[in-house]
Amino acid sequence: MKKIIIFLLSLTLLASCGRRNEGSFSSEPGISQPLTVVLPPACEPTAGFDPAFGWGAGEHVHEPLIQSTLTVTNPDLTIGYDLATGMETSQDGLTWTVKIRDDVTFTDGEALTASDVAFTYNMVKQTSSVNDFTMLDRAEAVDDTTVVFHMKTPFSIWPYTMAVTGIVPEHAYDPASYGSSPIGSGRYVLKQWDRGEQVILEYNPDYYGMQPRMEKVTILFMEEDAAFLAVQAGEVDLAYTSALYADQKPEVLSLNGQEPVTYSLLAVRTVDNRGINLPVTMSSPTMESPVRQAINMGIDRQRMIDHVLNGHGTPAYSVCDGLPWYNPVNEVEYDPEGAKALLDEWGWPVGPDGIRVRGTSEMRLGLTIYYIVGDSVRQGLAAELANQLRELGIEADIKGVGWDSAYNDALFNPLVWGWGAHTPMELYNIYHTDPERGTARYSPYSCETTDELLDAALACPHLEQSYTLWQQAQEEIAEDVPWVWLVNVDHLYWVRDGLHVAEQKIHPHGHGWSIVNNVDRWEWNS
Amino acid sequence: MNRRRSTLILLVLACALLLAVTLAGGLLADGAASADFTRKNLPPCFAFPFGTDWMGRDMLKRTLAGLSLSIRIGALTAALSGAVALALGAASAAFGGWVDALISWIIDLVMGIPHILLIILISIACGRGLWGVTAGVALSHWTSLARLVRGEVLQLCRTPYFRMAQRLGVSRKRLFCSHLLPHLLPQLLIGLMLQFPHAILHEASVTFLGFGLSSERPAIGNILEESMAYLAAGRWWLALLPGLSLVGVVMIFALAGERLRLLLAPASAQE
Repeated sequence: MKKIIIFLLSLTLLASCGRRNEGSFSSEPGISQPLTVVLPPACEPTAGFDPAFGWGAGEHVHEPLIQSTLTVTNPDLTIGYDLATGMETSQDGLTWTVKIRDDVTFTDGEALTASDVAFTYNMVKQTSSVNDFTMLDRAEAVDDTTVVFHMKTPFSIWPYTMAVTGIVPEHAYDPASYGSSPIGSGRYVLKQWDRGEQVILEYNPDYYGMQPRMEKVTILFMEEDAAFLAVQAGEVDLAYTSALYADQKPEVLSLNGQEPVTYSLLAVRTVDNRGINLPVTMSSPTMESPVRQAINMGIDRQRMIDHVLNGHGTPAYSVCDGLPWYNPVNEVEYDPEGAKALLDEWGWPVGPDGIRVRGTSEMRLGLTIYYIVGDSVRQGLAAELANQLRELGIEADIKGVGWDSAYNDALFNPLVWGWGAHTPMELYNIYHTDPERGTARYSPYSCETTDELLDAALACPHLEQSYTLWQQAQEEIAEDVPWVWLVNVDHLYWVRDGLHVAEQKIHPHGHGWSIVNNVDRWEWNS
Repeated sequence: MNRRRSTLILLVLACALLLAVTLAGGLLADGAASADFTRKNLPPCFAFPFGTDWMGRDMLKRTLAGLSLSIRIGALTAALSGAVALALGAASAAFGGWVDALISWIIDLVMGIPHILLIILISIACGRGLWGVTAGVALSHWTSLARLVRGEVLQLCRTPYFRMAQRLGVSRKRLFCSHLLPHLLPQLLIGLMLQFPHAILHEASVTFLGFGLSSERPAIGNILEESMAYLAAGRWWLALLPGLSLVGVVMIFALAGERLRLLLAPASAQE
């Protein structure tokens, strides 16, 4: 009898398994069909979904989905509103007054008021480990729908910080448990989180904005090869990939006479750039700006993209290509002859073995390009760059290092970096002189005019006006060329045919959560 | 042709092959590092018997350069650990008492820690790279040989001819050089030869795990580590051929060690 029961039980189990598989393989259209997305393991937030500990913010910015933010970045990376309905800056730039919606509730039913906003900002100022809130003095809730930010120093791009700071409920925030059981007011609710495996999001029925079209989103964390295998097995709807797999054609054989599952490659334009720093120090051959200019115009960025990224990228000329504060003055024509002439003119004639030497002093024009070990794109770019530099008569080697020593190595040698954020602050961080060091933070460079323009851009009371100042600073930078930007790496995804991914904003650095910024607007084609 | 002769021929052949690999790899080291993106991802063909990788590097040259590097590191570490083993083993047996106890204790201690862990620790402490790996492998592989030497010396010290020489007042130096060393040498040589495969495999694994040679060097560990990402993309030749070559070299070393044992220590060959 017992055996029979077990047998029957296992039969039902098997049958249900079969059904589940059928479900995930079916290409049946419909709003309620769950969506499965694969992201890299590094995307899993180690400290959970708490904005104070890096969720949404930090190096790899994205919309926090579970929480609302005051502002959002529009597809063209200008500022739009989420919770906010209007904002004003005082003439001295030291006070920001933000009006917020009055119809928002957290998923536990409590209303979201200005005091939650003030609480969130005062809290992240104390605890945030990833974002800089030092310019904020304090946030104050004037009434239920008005919050005032008192700043220590003017910070024109404050709305970009507001776009990545999820608002948490004052009444239900406990730093110890919030990360794993977050309460927010965003489009989705965290339904389940299996650490190291998956995150399941379900739509928030009380959401104040447009109803999400995708009701259930499962995010799986997988290594790149596992993600590709999951695509080949037809188990997922969208999976990140890289140029490495881009020439493959995953097609899943039909099961039970159903239509075969097919995938297409989606390439999203990014500002996820790669570039090298050229240290401006006495001991470095890149001390003179003509050498740096020659390198900047003597490298063929398109060839680099074809060779290393299999064509999936765009040439990069700055750290912020295509963003509202980008200045096209950064663009340079590929001109190898001009580059060689410039080097000849500046006293670096080609020596007997094809390498340029400085006059009679036997000093060779040579660079060692460092890259981060284990990052095949950076390694490939370093090798291709070295090949191209040799064509210009510059002796170039490559060397792999780990992050433990890379920051220090970059003070003396070019390193292949990756940047690209949704805030102009990156220009400041890379090019502005760090008062403690006397040079910029990541690579020795210091220019008073650049510093003044960058400071002016931050101090400007109006965001739109500050764009012009950020652009002016780039004019100065484009002449100095302390960094040479190489490529913007397209973010690649396998997308199941039939799934429509909504228009993406230019992705920032970090091949992760950005893709699901607007997952609520995705659709299954009928 | 008798058995001894055929053994000798095999041994010479194996050594010649290894020497050829070492020399070829050393000469090809420059070509192994050069990237040429116009010929990337080629499967094995006539021009590139081992194919090329995603940066268009010739995998045959890379494999040879890697093996050569491994063999040279193996030689260096075998020599180092052989010297350590001989010194400590002989001292342990000759002085006895607390010296013996101390050395035996160190041997036990080093043997008690898993090899790979010890190598990683030493390699990191020495700043990784070539010297880190060499130090790591050399300092972890001398123990079994030292124990062997100690045992041999203890045994030899009790032989009648040795005691006779001692009684006759032969100097310590002469005792060691003309009465101990000739008997120890075969064991030592065989031990060294058999140490190569260990050293090479450990060098490759430590590099594979990222604690060894830096990644721009064409080492077998790096080649295998880089190829992992491409397996799912169907580029089998990146891992398979260098991996098989590594196994091949290790087997030739083991084979050569065995033959050497047959020739040098014929008494134990039939055991």
